[in-house]
Amino acid sequence: MNILIVEDDRQTASFIQKGLMESGYVVDHAADGEDGLHLALQGSYDALIVDRMLPKRDGLSLIQILRAQGMQTPVLILSALGDVDHRVDGLRAGGDDYLVKPYAFSELLARLQALLRRTQPAQEYTTLKVRDLEMDLLKRRVIRNGTVIPLQPREFNLLEYLMRHAGQVVTRTMLLEKVWDYHFDPQTNVIDVHISRLRGKIDKDFDTPLLHTIRGAGYLLHDPQAA
Amino acid sequence: MTRKLLNTSVFRLSLIYALLFSTVAAGALGFIYWMAKGQMEQQTDARLQLETDALLNMYSELPVDRFTTIISMRNSENGSRYLFARLIHRSQHDFAHDIPFKPVNNNLGQGVATLPLNEILKGKNKHAEPARLMLTILSGDYQLLVITDLKEQHILMDRLLQTVLVAIGVIFTLALIGGVIMNRHVQRRINAVGHTANDIISGDLSRRMPVTGRDDEFDSLSHVLNTMLTRIEQLMQSMRDVTDNLAHDLRNPLNRLRNRLEASQYHPSATTDYPALIQDTIQEVDELIKTFNALLSIAQVESSAQRQDWAEVDLSALTEELAELYTVVAEEDNLSLTHYAEANLHLHGNRQLLAQAITNLLDNAVKYTPAGGEIRLEARRQNGVITITVSDNGLGIPAEQREQVFKRFKRLDNARSTPGNGLGLSLVKAVAELHGATVQLQDNHPGLRASLVIATSR
Repeated sequence: MNILIVEDDRQTASFIQKGLMESGYVVDHAADGEDGLHLALQGSYDALIVDRMLPKRDGLSLIQILRAQGMQTPVLILSALGDVDHRVDGLRAGGDDYLVKPYAFSELLARLQALLRRTQPAQEYTTLKVRDLEMDLLKRRVIRNGTVIPLQPREFNLLEYLMRHAGQVVTRTMLLEKVWDYHFDPQTNVIDVHISRLRGKIDKDFDTPLLHTIRGAGYLLHDPQAA
Repeated sequence: MTRKLLNTSVFRLSLIYALLFSTVAAGALGFIYWMAKGQMEQQTDARLQLETDALLNMYSELPVDRFTTIISMRNSENGSRYLFARLIHRSQHDFAHDIPFKPVNNNLGQGVATLPLNEILKGKNKHAEPARLMLTILSGDYQLLVITDLKEQHILMDRLLQTVLVAIGVIFTLALIGGVIMNRHVQRRINAVGHTANDIISGDLSRRMPVTGRDDEFDSLSHVLNTMLTRIEQLMQSMRDVTDNLAHDLRNPLNRLRNRLEASQYHPSATTDYPALIQDTIQEVDELIKTFNALLSIAQVESSAQRQDWAEVDLSALTEELAELYTVVAEEDNLSLTHYAEANLHLHGNRQLLAQAITNLLDNAVKYTPAGGEIRLEARRQNGVITITVSDNGLGIPAEQREQVFKRFKRLDNARSTPGNGLGLSLVKAVAELHGATVQLQDNHPGLRASLVIATSR
C-alpha cells in the first residue's frame, strides 16, 4: 500500500518512513505543504500522514483542498497542538484521525492500519468471525465454539471493535477513544482491566487464546493458526 | 501647555459648553435691552404728544404772537433742555420738507423724527446729541416743533448695554474657569490610572488602579480594570507555575535519563543489557510525556476561555458510564464500587474535562483505599446545586493538608510509594473552576469525601 508523509522535520519523516517500510508499506515523503499537495493530487495513495504545521502551506488547508477536489483518501493528522479545540479543528478540516506529538510509533501504525481498513469496500456485516468466536451484531450475541458467552453492553462494544480490527494492533488510547469516547489518559490503566475481564470471558475456558497483548503497543485479536 | 490643554476632550467640551451658555445668556440679556429701549422710546413720544396737544389747545384760542410768548415762557419753565417748543413759519425753514418725518398715526398731520439737536436749531444750540422732535403743521403754514433731548436716555441705554456685555463676559469666563478646574480634576484621575498602567507595563503586576471610594464612574472603571488585572496576574502566575514546575519536576527525570544513557555509553557492551535499558528508557520517556501533557492540560484549562466545544452534558449518563468503567478496576483491587445518579442531571460544559476530573477522583479513591474498602460515586441535585461525590473509606487527607493537595506535584508523604504525578487534583480544581464549580474535600470518617459542587441556573 502507498502512503504519503507530508512532514517538514526530516528526522521524524525518515523515522516514520523507515518504520512503515519495515511494516511493508511503500512510502513517499514531501517536506512542505505545496509539494505535499502536488504529490497527493498526482499520485494514488491509500493514506496520507500530514503534519499540521508545514512550510509554504499548512496541513489543514492542504486537507481542505484535497477534500474540495473530491479526494476521499484517509488522512492522519500529526500535530504538536494537542488541545481539544485543535483536535476538533483538524477533524472538521477533513482529517480522519488526529495524533498528538510526541507519540509512540506503534500508536501511529495502529491508527494508520485502522484508517486503511476503513477505506476497503464497506461491507455491512451482520456477523463477525475470528476462528471459532462468532459475534451476531443483530441479536447482539457472542458464541464461541457453540457456547453462548454473556457480555455486558460495554464488553460487547469492546469486543466488536477488536473483531472489526481483527489482525491489527489496537492501542489503549484507540480503545478509550472509540469504545468509550474519552480523549484523555486516565492515570490508572482502566483499559487493561477491561481487556483482562474480556479475556477471562472469551479465552479462559478455550484452548486457543485469541486476544493477545502486544508489549509496548496494545492488543491484537487474531487467530494464531490462521496465518 | 495651551496646546496640551486644548487637546483634552474635557476642556474642549467645557469650552463648547461655555460658548453655548454665553450665547444663550447674550440672547436673553439682548432681549431685555431691546425691550427697555422700545419702552423708553414709547414714553418719549407720549410725552411729546402730551405737550403738543396742550400747545395746540392754546394755539386755537390765542393769536400767533401771544402764543409765541407763551411757548417761550414754557420753554424757560421746562428748563429748555429736556422739553421745549418752537413755532416756525415754513417760509423761514420748511421742516416738513427737509426732514424725513415718520407720520404719527392720527389725522392731525403730525410726524416724529430723531436727529442731532444742532441740525434742528442751527446756531442756537450747539449740542450734537440726538433729539426727538414732533412736528405739527398748523394753519397759516406755521410748524409747531416740540423737541426733547435724548442725551440722558442714551447714557442710560449705553450703561445698560455695557452691563449686558460685561455680564456675558463674566459668564463666559466663569464657565471657562469651571471647565479648566473640571479638566484638572478629570486629568488628575486619568493620570493616576495612566501612571499605574505605566508601572504595570514596566513589570510591577501587583499594582492596582486607585479607587477613591467616591463610588463614581472613575471608581467603577478602576474596579473593572482591577478585576481584569487580577485575572491577568492569575494567568501569568499559572504560566509561571507551569514553567517552574517544568523546570523542577521534569529536570530530575530528564537528568536520570541522561545519566543512565551516559553510563551505558562508557560501560562495555558485554555487561549492559541493552534491550532492558531501551525498554526502561522508553518507559521513562513515556512517563515524562504523561507528566508534560498533564501539566499542559491543567494550564490550558486554567487559562481557557474558549467554550466553542461546550455542550449539554448528561451528568446522569456520564456518572453511570464512569462507574461502569471503574467498577471493574475497583474489583481488581478487591474494592467495591457502588453508585447512584439522580435522573436528568444536565449541565452546560465540556464532557471530556468533566469526565477526566471525575476519573481523577475515582483514580485517587482506588489508589488510596486498602483492599476490602468501599467507594461510592454519587450525583445529586439539591436547590439547583449539582453535587458529584466520590467517597471512600480509605486513608483520607488530614484536615490541615486539604488545601495543599490542590497544588501541582503536591504528594502527601503516605502517597509517595504509590504511582502518580501529583497533578490529579490540580486538574480537578482547574476543571471545576472552569465550570464555575468548587471542589470540597471532607472527612468521610474514615476516608475521604471529595465533591464537585456545581451551581446551575435551573
